[in-house]
Amino acid sequence: MVISPLHRKALRDLRRLWAQVLAIALVLAAGVATMILGNGAYASLFETRARYYEANRFADVFADVTRAPRALMGEIEAIDGVLAAEARIVKLGLLDLADMAEPGSVLFVSLPENAEVGLNRLHLRQGRLPDPQSSDEVVISEGFAAAHRLRPGAPLGVLMNGQRLELLVTGIALSPEFVYALGPGEMMPDPRRFGVAWLPRASLEAAFDLEGAFSNVVLKLAPGASQDRVIAALDRLTAPYGGIGATGRSDQISHAFLDAELKQLSAMVKVLPPIFLLVAAMLVNMTLSRLITLEREQIGLLKAIGYSARAIALHYVEFVLLIAVLGIAIGLMAGAWLGMGLAQMYAHFFSFPFLVFTRDPQIYVIASGITAAAAVGGAIYAVRAVLTLPPAVAMAPPAPADYRRRQSRLPHVFAMRQTSVMIARHLFRWPFRTLSSTFGIAMSVAILVASLWSFGSINHMIDVTFFRAERHDAQVVFGSPEPLRAVYAARQMPGVMVAEPFRLVAARISHRNLSKRLALIGKIEDPRLSRVLDPALRPMTMPEAGLVLSAALAEALNVRAGDTVTVEFPEGRRPTVSLPVSGISLGYVGLGAAIDITALNRTMGEGALISGLNLQIDAAAQADFFAAAKSTPKTEFVTVTALTISRFKQTLAENITVMITVYVILAAIIAVGVVYNFTRISLSEQGRELASLRVLGFTRAEVAGVLFGELAAVVLLAQPLGWLIGYAIGVSMVAAFSSDLYRVPFVVGREVYATASLVVFAAALASAVAIRARINTLDMIEVLKTRE
Amino acid sequence: MVAGADIVFRAKGLTKVYRIGELEVHALRGVDFQASRGEFIVILGPSGSGKSTFLNIVGGLDAATAGEAWFEDHQLTALDERGLTQYRRDHVGFVFQFYNLVPSLTARENVQLVTEIARHPMKADDALALVGLSERRDHFPAQLSGGEQQRVAIARAIAKNPEVLLCDEPTGALDSATGIKVLESLTLVNRTIGATTLVITHNAAIRDIADRVLRFADGQIVEETVNTTKKNPSEVTW
Repeated sequence: MVISPLHRKALRDLRRLWAQVLAIALVLAAGVATMILGNGAYASLFETRARYYEANRFADVFADVTRAPRALMGEIEAIDGVLAAEARIVKLGLLDLADMAEPGSVLFVSLPENAEVGLNRLHLRQGRLPDPQSSDEVVISEGFAAAHRLRPGAPLGVLMNGQRLELLVTGIALSPEFVYALGPGEMMPDPRRFGVAWLPRASLEAAFDLEGAFSNVVLKLAPGASQDRVIAALDRLTAPYGGIGATGRSDQISHAFLDAELKQLSAMVKVLPPIFLLVAAMLVNMTLSRLITLEREQIGLLKAIGYSARAIALHYVEFVLLIAVLGIAIGLMAGAWLGMGLAQMYAHFFSFPFLVFTRDPQIYVIASGITAAAAVGGAIYAVRAVLTLPPAVAMAPPAPADYRRRQSRLPHVFAMRQTSVMIARHLFRWPFRTLSSTFGIAMSVAILVASLWSFGSINHMIDVTFFRAERHDAQVVFGSPEPLRAVYAARQMPGVMVAEPFRLVAARISHRNLSKRLALIGKIEDPRLSRVLDPALRPMTMPEAGLVLSAALAEALNVRAGDTVTVEFPEGRRPTVSLPVSGISLGYVGLGAAIDITALNRTMGEGALISGLNLQIDAAAQADFFAAAKSTPKTEFVTVTALTISRFKQTLAENITVMITVYVILAAIIAVGVVYNFTRISLSEQGRELASLRVLGFTRAEVAGVLFGELAAVVLLAQPLGWLIGYAIGVSMVAAFSSDLYRVPFVVGREVYATASLVVFAAALASAVAIRARINTLDMIEVLKTRE
Repeated sequence: MVAGADIVFRAKGLTKVYRIGELEVHALRGVDFQASRGEFIVILGPSGSGKSTFLNIVGGLDAATAGEAWFEDHQLTALDERGLTQYRRDHVGFVFQFYNLVPSLTARENVQLVTEIARHPMKADDALALVGLSERRDHFPAQLSGGEQQRVAIARAIAKNPEVLLCDEPTGALDSATGIKVLESLTLVNRTIGATTLVITHNAAIRDIADRVLRFADGQIVEETVNTTKKNPSEVTW
């Protein structure tokens, strides 16, 4: 096969300019990789979830009741739009394991008689399902089993409705209902302290005194059925039995967290790839423009001997496409590899029985196409010059770069050295290049700012949530409300120094056409262990009458302090009241509404009841307290703040560290790509002048200083711009990440800007060092003998 | 000028061999040379005769393979890169065929480039006045003619008050009338600051303005002529 001379030239140019080519290709690759990774992970997670839900018949509607007769199921199944319904017993219990002193919870879920046909079907990983007739056989969730090294045949000690039981593990399973298995009162899944246990209905009926009754119902809807209408009908049916209102999937914890993750991924896909592609297009433009300037005479020659302008233009486009192909190849590989890594992270974090890592060729094709288009787009402006260049003009050397007198008079005002004047004038001579390089480096700073802020924000979140608001060491929640005197009993428990009661009541808060369901918390007037903070972090006193809403809730309901909201309680005698909003509080987790506990109890009309206690524990007596809390029959679950915080930090540390590492690499790729190309081009343009300076007796360091001074100006100029863009990206990310589950405070400390800049400086320095050798070997003799 | 009275340059057995692959190119084959303070020397010779290599070595731009070259009491052939840079910076003024001005600096700024780093510089404006370019001092190279650019280059070379002025084909890119102006500047400068001046040229007509003429061929000095009567540049033509 004969390769035409122009093709051969393109290949040789590629080899000759390998370092610049590689720098551009890497930026393109980062664009491809983030596109593949983001889209791939999104598709993968979405597809996995969809298939898992489909295969295991994940329910659409979920409702808790106190105790409803099984006979009610006939009516529920008859609701228009209900395809299948399943009555279950779902109750919390406590773990009683030899290998764990701290309190842990277990969620008991009853299995249908025929587990092969029910909803939320288990995916059995090991062993077998319990014998429906047995009273002690249990299947446990995989994460929990792994955390405690439990296998089929192992005993499992639990406290079920206050009774200590020893169950026998027969199998280990996963459920679509607990892909994200969050324990009660926790912020992050902790498989060590929370597990799900599936038992035959009979054993739970007996233990929880629910013979012939159920405490939870799940529905599968017929395609096209109106979820809202079904929920309304279901709520009417369950209301007499302590139903507090059914929810759809969007409020189901596991599903909602998966949704939040998907939302974050789609935000990443929208932000990152365009940045890389834009920077890459700009680099292509810079590099190709210079190449074409250098090859002016060759272009003229080619035209003179009969090559058409189009053929020559295509030659340069081919050159750029070769770079794009290289970038795409690296990007596809990196994207696929990182995608696997992310998938493994998901597999570790979410409990899926399988993970569909979609290798949808469409994503690859689209990513490649967009990337090639960005590269060629960058080339077009530069190539246009080739088309318009008449051969005779092309073959004559270009006129010396024209620096007009209108060039700033600043040098004289500031009494700059002539080398500094050179730097300034060269930067101003090529404003587009200076600006686009500044912009490119700014983007790498921005990527860092937009990823590094999360550390500070999370620390802020932890500080506010656990050290200013929720300052208790432990929280005990009862299975059902207890009389106020339980406070005195709690104070008798070992290690308890302070006990503050609270009451939780399910409520629907509405304002005009907006409404939100949540647990309204009743607090004592001036709580010390669980405080409500105003936006300036000052503790708030519970108003005598009226609500304090978290900012997130106020926003969701579009209310301000002073407005009146309607509060419906779907519990007890189901009161509905209108209450003023007395204040807006700060809160990062969930939607929050607080009220004075006395006012709440008055409204509910059930006497002075409490749902649980916030406790301050003497650290020395902690173990005794754990044991005592566990053996108190009323206790439904206990959370230990220190464990919650450490799990929270550990989980985030694992995930964020990986993420930050990826972002730092991506930012460094941009910084190196821009700095290296900018400096190489600048050196190419000024090589002659710099060599002349060497001849005049300037030292290597002084000459390098001219080039690096220019680079430093661009890099420094890019910093504030990068901080600003990073801040803006951060703000939009916060908006994208916020959900009813949590909102992220946007806290950007000075250290974030400093770190981002330092990383970019390091990348710039590395590129500068790589180019330093070229400056040192500038050929002084060559430059004197040749015309530019 | 009497040879040996006040010697600025001495070279003995100066040899330069370039290796290009397997091939050895002998650019200089044992050149012996000396020059006195203030002397104006024209070096003639065909392409490849070694005259530029010679100028580059005595100018501290290139290293010799063998032999010695001395500038006053500095042994150039023993200096490292740093030492050569310092030597060029302190003692040598260069003028080249293609001017090698910095396009982003005006005429005056190009001269200041050197005065800023020199030990005993003259004022940039004085240097420009010496070459007759005071009026054009705020122009950028792109706004100057070839001859004007070369005179800026001469002003830049002499502004440091160098002991030596080395010129490689200073009129090579210029027409005759402009070339003569440039030569006038060179002789004026030679007289005014007393710098030993070495001018390489292809142009035999220039020989008449020199104190001494050296002819290079095949890496050696093959002919040396001392002019008893020097002509003014305006008296030569080509």
